[in-house]
Amino acid sequence: MASSDGKPLPTPASAGAAGGTAPPGQPTTVASKVLDMGAAAMQSLRPVKQVKQHVCTLALYAHDPKRQVETHHYVSRLNQDFLQCAVYDSDRADARLIGVEYIVSRKIFESLPAEEQRLWHSHAHEIKSGLWTSPHVPTPLEKAELDHLATTFGKFWCTWQVDRGDRLPLGAPALMVSPQADPAATVRPDLVRKRDDRYGFSTEELRAARFDVEAPAEEHPGKADYWLRHRKGFAVDVVPHEMKRHAPFP
Amino acid sequence: MSSSDQNPAATPASGPDEPSPPGRPTAVSSQVLDMGAQLVQALKPVRQMKQHACSIALYAHDLHRQMEVHHFVSRLNQDVLQCAVYDSDKPSARLIGVEYIVSDTIFEGLPPDEQRLWHSHAYEVKAGLWTDVAVPEALQSSEMASLAKTYGKFWCTWQVDRGDALPLGAPALMVSPQAAEPGRARAELVRRRDERYGVDSSAGGLKAARVEMDEPEWINPNADYWRLHRKGFAVDVVPAEMKRHAPFP
Repeated sequence: MASSDGKPLPTPASAGAAGGTAPPGQPTTVASKVLDMGAAAMQSLRPVKQVKQHVCTLALYAHDPKRQVETHHYVSRLNQDFLQCAVYDSDRADARLIGVEYIVSRKIFESLPAEEQRLWHSHAHEIKSGLWTSPHVPTPLEKAELDHLATTFGKFWCTWQVDRGDRLPLGAPALMVSPQADPAATVRPDLVRKRDDRYGFSTEELRAARFDVEAPAEEHPGKADYWLRHRKGFAVDVVPHEMKRHAPFP
Repeated sequence: MSSSDQNPAATPASGPDEPSPPGRPTAVSSQVLDMGAQLVQALKPVRQMKQHACSIALYAHDLHRQMEVHHFVSRLNQDVLQCAVYDSDKPSARLIGVEYIVSDTIFEGLPPDEQRLWHSHAYEVKAGLWTDVAVPEALQSSEMASLAKTYGKFWCTWQVDRGDALPLGAPALMVSPQAAEPGRARAELVRRRDERYGVDSSAGGLKAARVEMDEPEWINPNADYWRLHRKGFAVDVVPAEMKRHAPFP
């Protein structure tokens, strides 16, 4: 039930329903806006203020890599080896929050048990190929970061499958994977072109400019990018489960 | 494999004394990039998060595992909210999941199988568990009255309460506190939260005001699945045959 790779039943919340792609619902009322303004004045919102960078890239569904989405990562840095990203489907104010990605350095990745590593993907190809971009950030400023990111690994759960037209978040979370050189993992040119046109840059040119980003000697260490080797994707199932029994608290 | 209800194998990623997450202090070059990026990038989606609410959440597969959660809420329209959920309100807060919140009208339009993944908010709001931090009750009361009629779907992607120094395993479905055991929020968690934020439990304060709040007339029985069925939901990640597609033209 509720498998990430099952199609949701038709509902007002799924593709094709009248009303376009925005979530169904009434426009925001003035009263709500007033509260938001009041709250913003009183609350510090510190975790959110740690988000300092916008990255635009493309991701594939682990259980069906032909399903691909442009993603907008809003990145905050917890330390030099760990990034956490709130992922959206656009860079606009009405963007939908579609998931979470965590990014760790190679050293941290190698400390993970094999079963955990299977859920993670490498970033070297995504960086070197110019797919991962920080719109508007000058190239020299991002060079050191790209060198580092090319050696990192990510784990990305998608909680709203907007590419299949869901107007609301339906079903189980889906594991996502990164583009790779393998033909099964190549991003569709039309998606790349659409992204490039919007930002006025060229992924091809970025790839050429990134020739000096070092590819790690071993691009898929451990169990990273599991699906590439095993040609099995990961789907997520939500299953009913006996509740755990606990001794009563003292 | 990778079930949300299993304890992960011992790794440097778990353990009470490990920093979480592990890693080196942020380098100057990274800080420079972050400062530069902020100057030229608008970051519009995250600017939409205008409210911080604090509450207590429970794991759907194990209601005795409970934690304080911090929701940073953005409003997509009058009926749909989306929240980035953190484990604290500090700059070092870890992003631990995502919650979506919809009005009862929208919820009624979802198929029953989908509704089972959602939880009601009426008790959580009326009991004063969900609160907009530092916002006077008078200002938040009408919003809370609306929120009491909503339903939420909350995936936790980092199980910090079991000591994971890194996000391990599959996402876990979360549920809301309820009046009936085993769904009640633990008093100690609530007390600690209330003390930190100065939540007023007195006769004139937040809790008293919430008692006056209207209850929704009806809560959809498909929500809060565990109450009727005494079964929680665990999340499994399973290898699947890759779908075959016709080649692109």
